Amino acid sequence: MNEEPEITIGATGIDTEALVQHLRETVARKQAEGVYADARIARAERTNLLHLRNDEDFLAFYLQSLREAATVDINDFDIRERRAGVGPLLVRLKKTIWNLLKFYTYRLWSQQNTINSLFVTGLESMDDTYKTRLQQLEARIAALEKDRTSPPAP
Amino acid sequence: MTTARRIAFVSPRFSPEGTVGGAETLLKALAEQAAAAGRDITFLTTCAKDHFTWNNVREPGTETVNGMTVHYFPVDESRDIEVFLKHQNRIDRRIPLSREEEEAWVDNSVNSPALYDHLRTYGDRYDRILVGPYLFGITLKVARIHPEKTWLVPCLHDEPFAYLAVIQDLFEQVGGFIFNTRPEQALAERLYRQPSAKGTVVGIGLEPFEADASAFARKHSITTPYVLYAGRRETLKGTPLLTQYVQVFRERTGREITLVFTGSGDIDAPDALRPHMLDVGFVSEQEKHEAMAGATAFIHPSVNESLGIVLLEAWLARTPVLVHAAGHVLTDQCRRSGGGLWFRVYPEFEEMLSYLLDHPDIAARMGDAGRDFVLREYTWDAVLRRLFQAIDTTP
Repeated sequence: MNEEPEITIGATGIDTEALVQHLRETVARKQAEGVYADARIARAERTNLLHLRNDEDFLAFYLQSLREAATVDINDFDIRERRAGVGPLLVRLKKTIWNLLKFYTYRLWSQQNTINSLFVTGLESMDDTYKTRLQQLEARIAALEKDRTSPPAP
Repeated sequence: MTTARRIAFVSPRFSPEGTVGGAETLLKALAEQAAAAGRDITFLTTCAKDHFTWNNVREPGTETVNGMTVHYFPVDESRDIEVFLKHQNRIDRRIPLSREEEEAWVDNSVNSPALYDHLRTYGDRYDRILVGPYLFGITLKVARIHPEKTWLVPCLHDEPFAYLAVIQDLFEQVGGFIFNTRPEQALAERLYRQPSAKGTVVGIGLEPFEADASAFARKHSITTPYVLYAGRRETLKGTPLLTQYVQVFRERTGREITLVFTGSGDIDAPDALRPHMLDVGFVSEQEKHEAMAGATAFIHPSVNESLGIVLLEAWLARTPVLVHAAGHVLTDQCRRSGGGLWFRVYPEFEEMLSYLLDHPDIAARMGDAGRDFVLREYTWDAVLRRLFQAIDTTP
């Protein structure tokens, strides 16, 4: 899986700094080859607190996660029970309860999905609007500063 | 130079039997070792055991534990939890609080007026008062009673509480600091602009042990390699991340690996991982050490640790570690020891864990390097020397 890195063996053992660097280079190469383009990784990364610390990327990451989580699956699902013995009985009981409640929960969750989607769309729209405005303002400030530092016309 | 002979340690909880929070364990261990070294130690604490309810479950009173006099004082039960939580939630969300609101948060945190009365009345009996961790009402109020001879053991994290004005004041008031690691000291210097001479990195001492590396797998019939996490299971500790990563690792690499947990709390994990996960809950120290010794890697995904005692224990068991790179303290320990690797995102986790599985000889040498590091830096002799150097000074 890994190519062998050149590891310096010091008094304390392994040069972990060099090893981490080597493994990161391996990751970068594999990423370029698409090895890690995997929805499972994207899902797992939602729980990575590292993303919450990077202010610049946080909102984009948050919105992306929100978009993926906004629409919940409201369809039937496989009801299972791990406990032996009473398991089949419990499964039948749960299926009965599910069938009785489905009419109500389906309407409720559909409505919730609609609200979630509208909410995310609204947030994305605000993000786009303010991002554009900020870019325009930054460009204007840069232009004004450039004018101020330019030598006066002869 | 004067010798601080009579020392009071203060922490919100104390357990004669053993396990409470990491900071409380640290203070208790320092106090016990200082008592064994001949200092006159008094431990001041509350009657509470549970860090959620803070109910007074012990009787107030005094007992002798391992050569120390331990005084138990009741927690103030009249505190307004709603006010406390209201402000706490705002702090969590980094919403600025006025000075009055910060004080209201302190007043309604965990407090013990009886403990404060004791220090006001008998404070002259103590040459030094060591108190921590930093974010409890008890710590803030104790530090205000005799600030010049109070040494703070903050167990500081880079979190919203650390940015409050009352915490800034706390760091300005006290006579000195006892830090666990260099990154923690650097964080305090950055946040509070305190002179580095006021702080000393002391850490905690650990007793070396030997553990049978095959005993844990044999006892629990584990037939695959396993990775281990030990401690509380919380989002901030990174346990949801760990379960997600291990599940994706199993799916993507097709490698059979078991995830073992010791400690307390519910585990947030994908259903598909549960058959390949073993939660043994609280275990004896010996069994924990055996679990560590047999693991392919000890994984500590927390980004907010001020020391990471379990990491040091894993190294004593000669096991390499994998830590989250955003956890600066743990990463620094790995860099200095050569005993572990640090990942930022899943692809790095996959590469690193695969590497340790594929290179058991190098993994073993990393574990040995970790053990050498702990034996060098975290023996009680070394820790007490640093502690006494810090507190045996002329104010």
